[in-house]
Amino acid sequence: MVARVWSLMRFLIKGSVAGGAVYLVYDQELLGSSDKSQAALKKAGEVVPPAMYQFSQYVCQQTGLQIPQLPAPPKIHFPIRDSWNAGIITVMSALSVAPSKACEYSKEGWEYVKARTK
Amino acid sequence: MSESELGRKWDRCLADAVVKIGTGFGLGIVFSLTFFKRRMWPLAFGSGMGLGMAYSNCQHDFQAPYLLHGKYVKEQEQ
Repeated sequence: MVARVWSLMRFLIKGSVAGGAVYLVYDQELLGSSDKSQAALKKAGEVVPPAMYQFSQYVCQQTGLQIPQLPAPPKIHFPIRDSWNAGIITVMSALSVAPSKACEYSKEGWEYVKARTK
Repeated sequence: MSESELGRKWDRCLADAVVKIGTGFGLGIVFSLTFFKRRMWPLAFGSGMGLGMAYSNCQHDFQAPYLLHGKYVKEQEQ
């Protein structure tokens, strides 16, 4: 009797945890359209770092540990899109002039060899 | 479609993919721990579902360039 009640309680607890997770996903519209997902990600990016900082401060106060202040990460301004586009343009223009350049260089090389063997 | 609009669509697609895969993975963890005895397949199933939903959204977004993306504004009661 006790075992049955305990297994029923366990099932109810597990069911409520899983149901709560599903409801949270439904309420926050995480599996909806891309606009809402983007808004949810932006909101998470604004909320999570201060929450993590406050939690770390609370842990430091309770335990007495001192977490050293990490230096700020360096800001790297590397325009990936511009360098990628420039790279593509360079590669394609090199491929387009490759046959004519190969002809030209082989002709020059032949003339050089002819001049040296005379 | 202008390049800036294309860039915004790609940003939206990537953010959507991250959220959906993460949500599917999270739900997979919850169900794996509660009902499926810590097996791995709910995680893979959830992540795969999230990826598929994100891909479908992206496909719809890129193939329908004339749809406008609006925001919901709550009506203010007078």
